[in-house]
Amino acid sequence: MSGVWIYADKYEQGVELLTAGRGVADMLGMKLTALVSGDNNIAQDFIARGADEVLLLPPLTESQPVQDYVPLMADEARDADPDVFLIAASLKGKEMAARIAARLDTALCSECSAMNIDEKGKLQMERLMYGGAAIQTVSISSRPQMATIPPRSYEAAPVQSDRQGNIKTLESPEPSGMQVMERKGKAQASGDITAARIIVCAGRGIENQEDLAMVRELAEVLGGEVACTRPISEEKHWMTEESCIGLSAKEVKPALYLGIGVSGQIQHVVGIREAGIICAVNSDENAPIFESADYGITGDLYQIVPALIEEFKK
Amino acid sequence: MPNIICCFKWVVDEAYIKPSSSGKIDLEWAEYKLSDYDRNAIEEAVQLQEKYGGSVTAVTVASSDATKGIKDALSRGPEKAYFINDDQFENLEPSQTSAILAKVIGDQIDYDLIICGEGSSDMYSQQVGPRLAEKLGIPCIAFVNQLTIEDNRIIAERKTDDGLEVISAPLPALVTVLPDINSPRVPGLKDTLAASKKPVIEIDLEDLGSEYERLLIDEGLRAASMERNCSRFGAGPEDIKAFVEAVRKTGVIDRG
Ligand SMILES: Cc1cc2nc3c(=O)[nH]c(=O)nc-3n(C[C@H](O)[C@H](O)[C@H](O)COP(=O)(O)OP(=O)(O)OC[C@H]3O[C@@H](n4cnc5c(N)ncnc54)[C@H](O)[C@@H]3O)c2cc1C
Ligand SMILES: Nc1ncnc2c1ncn2[C@@H]1O[C@H](COP(=O)(O)O)[C@@H](O)[C@H]1O
Repeated sequence: MSGVWIYADKYEQGVELLTAGRGVADMLGMKLTALVSGDNNIAQDFIARGADEVLLLPPLTESQPVQDYVPLMADEARDADPDVFLIAASLKGKEMAARIAARLDTALCSECSAMNIDEKGKLQMERLMYGGAAIQTVSISSRPQMATIPPRSYEAAPVQSDRQGNIKTLESPEPSGMQVMERKGKAQASGDITAARIIVCAGRGIENQEDLAMVRELAEVLGGEVACTRPISEEKHWMTEESCIGLSAKEVKPALYLGIGVSGQIQHVVGIREAGIICAVNSDENAPIFESADYGITGDLYQIVPALIEEFKK
Repeated sequence: MPNIICCFKWVVDEAYIKPSSSGKIDLEWAEYKLSDYDRNAIEEAVQLQEKYGGSVTAVTVASSDATKGIKDALSRGPEKAYFINDDQFENLEPSQTSAILAKVIGDQIDYDLIICGEGSSDMYSQQVGPRLAEKLGIPCIAFVNQLTIEDNRIIAERKTDDGLEVISAPLPALVTVLPDINSPRVPGLKDTLAASKKPVIEIDLEDLGSEYERLLIDEGLRAASMERNCSRFGAGPEDIKAFVEAVRKTGVIDRG
């Protein structure tokens, strides 16, 4: 059997993968199968957006983690033997993909950033290495060729009329013994940094949480959003991870990025590569951020940020 | 009294990676380090031992060059290490690494809990932990930022895309930890000296008695270019003015 499979634990990412998967399936002349959790309506929607077949994952109990689908998905894949299996690189998706790959004794390209098909019909995939300092190209010699695909890499597949497909409902998965005892939502981030035209980014050079007010004011004067580095969101918890830029966070493409007290290590900088203009304020003249910046100011941010606010107001 | 294993990797320090003029990666001058988040994995194992007793064993798969890494890991608190090393273990991919770890841990080490980092600093595949759990047939909880042990179960708070989930799983289990789970200690001279006296069990490919085929094929590596011509400004009022003017001139600011 041959085919291309996709799975995402979130609907929005599922319809993005339909675009990715449809592209690969068409190039290889294969069927596209979507693993979908939900009901018949959702299955029909996936078919209307490009799937030839939907494997419907039955609902889980309240205390079952979504990872309980792993054995079921691996068993189905072992039977059907698809050529390609793409999974959305959400946090849950990355874990599930690694576990499915282990069960199927196949390789997995994590967070694939570009994908081509060579003349033999094999995937040639790119991913970041060394924190983003390098790009590695890989292929996979085992079956299925698996990859996780970062969210927002593809447009959502549009609904087309007159599409037909099969729906097969799978058996409910066995409880694994893992139990979800509690789910907590997260604090809403203020703005969407991936859509921002101007970003002012707070780094660990900022000493106190209150001092973020100064960074916010600068962002406001410029008409932009505030973002941060991983230490600000993950260690200090001054801002949410929604605001964090970099390898393990978000990639942004603003026209202007201004880093305040950001050292510019590769794992952060990889998230701003596509920025139009990169500016930086740092007291250390040897900070690596200056190598990645168009305009850099060497000096104390506590002196410079207020001065910039005044000057940009004019 | 849990027996805890922490898995760590000895990696190229990416700060030393400089693209050569040909766009190739030049590793000649590279230094090595303990993969960043594996410091958190080791620290968490040691803190759990301080709380619940039991033992901490550090495990790595590497080429023989990683001897320094063993010492570094042991100076952070584990009482012994398994050094699975062979000259053929250069640049392993996650399916190989996890299969080798599963073979040694499954056959030779008593454990209740395995702790891995969220992802390694060089590959950042985020695969070895979950794969190892599957190979051993034990529960896996990834992206954990808080851990307790209760009645032979692990209670973990893990990050999800929507927020947090508190998960309970029976031991033995595997977790992968995020950097905010703890602040790794900085080993002192005494710790370094103590580390050289701790037992290290060495295992090579022949001892393992099987082959580990590469499934993720390397098709090339190139430097990611980031060419910007940096204009530098000082902190004086004239500099600030000039900076703001230069930024305005690019036309990226549409108001103010
Ligand atoms: C696998 C992995 C994934 C990672 N993913 C990410 C990611 O997605 N995003 C991310 O951001 N990081 C990530 N990191 C962490 C990254 O390596 C850096 O540690 C982090 O980006 C540094 O943040 P920072 O620049 O805010 O802090 P620091 O590196 O501590 O830099 C602070 C800077 O502020 C300057 N400074 C101090 N005081 C002043 C002052 N008064 N005025 C002006 N400047 C001052 C200092 O000179 C210094 O350069 C990751 C790391 C790993 C290992
Ligand atoms: N060679 C190795 N030896 C021991 N543990 C490893 C090795 N490679 C990866 N790990 C563990 O698996 C985690 C994730 O690695 P990776 O899948 O490469 O991102 C690391 O943080 C380590 O805890």
